[in-house]
Amino acid sequence: MDALILLGSLFLLIAIGVPVAYALGLAALVGAIWIDIPLEAVMLKISDGVDNFSLLAIPFFVLAGAIMAEGGMARRLVALANVMVGFIRGGLSLVNILASTFFGCISGSSVADTASIGSVMIPQMEKAGYPRVFATNVTITGSVQAILIPPSHNAVIYSLAAGGTVSIAHLFLAGVIPGLLLGLSLMTLCLAIAQREGYPKGKPVPLREAGKIAIEAFWGLLTMFIILGGILSGVFTATESASIACVYAFLVTMFIYRDYKWRDLPYLVHRTVKTVAMVMILIGFASGFGYIMALMQLPFKVTEFFLSISDNKYVILLLINLMLLALGTLMDLAPLLLICTPILLPVVVKFGVDPVHFGMIMLVNLGIGLITPPVGSVLFVGCAVAKVSIEQVTKTIWPFYLAMLIVLMLVTYVPAISLWIPSLVTF
Amino acid sequence: MKAAYVRAMDALYLICVALAGVSLILMALIIPWGVFTRYVLNSGSSWPEPLSILLMILFTFAGAAACYRARAHIAVTLFANLATAPVRTGFALLVEVAMAALSLFMVIWGTELVGVTWNQVIAEFPFLSVGVTYLPLPIGGAITLLFIVERAWIGPPSRDSIVFREPASAD
Repeated sequence: MDALILLGSLFLLIAIGVPVAYALGLAALVGAIWIDIPLEAVMLKISDGVDNFSLLAIPFFVLAGAIMAEGGMARRLVALANVMVGFIRGGLSLVNILASTFFGCISGSSVADTASIGSVMIPQMEKAGYPRVFATNVTITGSVQAILIPPSHNAVIYSLAAGGTVSIAHLFLAGVIPGLLLGLSLMTLCLAIAQREGYPKGKPVPLREAGKIAIEAFWGLLTMFIILGGILSGVFTATESASIACVYAFLVTMFIYRDYKWRDLPYLVHRTVKTVAMVMILIGFASGFGYIMALMQLPFKVTEFFLSISDNKYVILLLINLMLLALGTLMDLAPLLLICTPILLPVVVKFGVDPVHFGMIMLVNLGIGLITPPVGSVLFVGCAVAKVSIEQVTKTIWPFYLAMLIVLMLVTYVPAISLWIPSLVTF
Repeated sequence: MKAAYVRAMDALYLICVALAGVSLILMALIIPWGVFTRYVLNSGSSWPEPLSILLMILFTFAGAAACYRARAHIAVTLFANLATAPVRTGFALLVEVAMAALSLFMVIWGTELVGVTWNQVIAEFPFLSVGVTYLPLPIGGAITLLFIVERAWIGPPSRDSIVFREPASAD
């Protein structure tokens, strides 16, 4: 009955359109009243939810990514990707995906990736003879790499949702192969489609020009090495490296690239405030919700429920994947990470799944949710950037979904894909 | 009267964004400073971390209030969009009532929390009360309530409002 009250009120509030963050807060209140917990305790937990030093990495990663993306980085990454794969048949679709791989190294946001890379690549691809809908499909599916390739602020959110017991550094390292695997799968698909449809080849870039492009892009890509290098060497914490990345991104954008106007900076901060504050308040209210959930012993009950269905780890992982895919069609990534991680992590740990591995499963799975209708923020942004309808995209995107589902199954059932790189590093 | 209220809410929105924005920039500067003092000056400062956390709380609750006015919070509108117009209106009303209830809770219980902790001091900043840490909760709740009143009484901010303004150079 406790679970019905808590989860029932949450889903009811979400269904009528209450912002997810506030629905979590209200459901926590309903739950607290139901089990007779003082409301001050809920208030305290909500505040404690954002009273965490590790959490500061999230706004910094978003800010550094926004500075880089708006400061001309997207254009330079596209140019670098063009040097590397543009000359192949269907080259511009590969350029689009590789640019997203690079973009993932500076920003963990698929939405920012779609907006930045899409606005450069979609018109360019259409001009070269690619159908606009195909260009949109490539852009939105490729952008999902951003949430896997380090630094990913969503990995930080997962770490926090897991109670801070999962190392952010391990999660960053774990995301490398799944991210690259996703990129390679999409590129293979694009190559096959390009051969079948006879999409054009690009021209090789002269060596001298290629060198110049590589140097220009190098400054941006160095961000990832500052972040990972700092964390892995033990010099910085994740939060410190993220703040240093902000300062570095600012210096590169304003003094090396000099594409961004000083007078536009307040607008950039305004947009970043809106993007980050909604995630932070979500974390705060999710903390209050998680507290009530723990008092009701909900994770324990959910574990028992799954155990009653099957004692086979692979069956349970399949069921969890199906459930997350269904939820992902309705809700965004961050709220689902915050709601589902505390419930599902104890279940999978009971079945012997490594929490870092499960983090990757969740990120790939919920990443697919970002581009599936009816609710997919990346799908919406991609369609808006390309000026195509959601119906046009959903009619043609199926091969891309299939490629992503294959990657999801590989990440789910081959733990080494996620765990091999972290196993090489000791902290 | 309505125009004056909208102007006041515009000003309040700007204050929220400015507070959150300045907090964000300060956090991004003082943490690298902490690293600098630790490695270069060989005497790590103890204040950047707790100060950043205080700024983070301010950022979150001031920013969240601004997000409400800018309709930036993540919400599932699928079911409302599928419903008939009268049901949709009913849903919209219920959403505002729910938001108002939670904001009121933040004001009342947040103030209670500030009161209870007002006489304790923060270890790293003995001149600051612990209550200050919790102050953004009731204030953020109260500002959100004022924005809810605006939406219920006058309607959402127009597209040319300060909330949606972009630089002239943007596409």
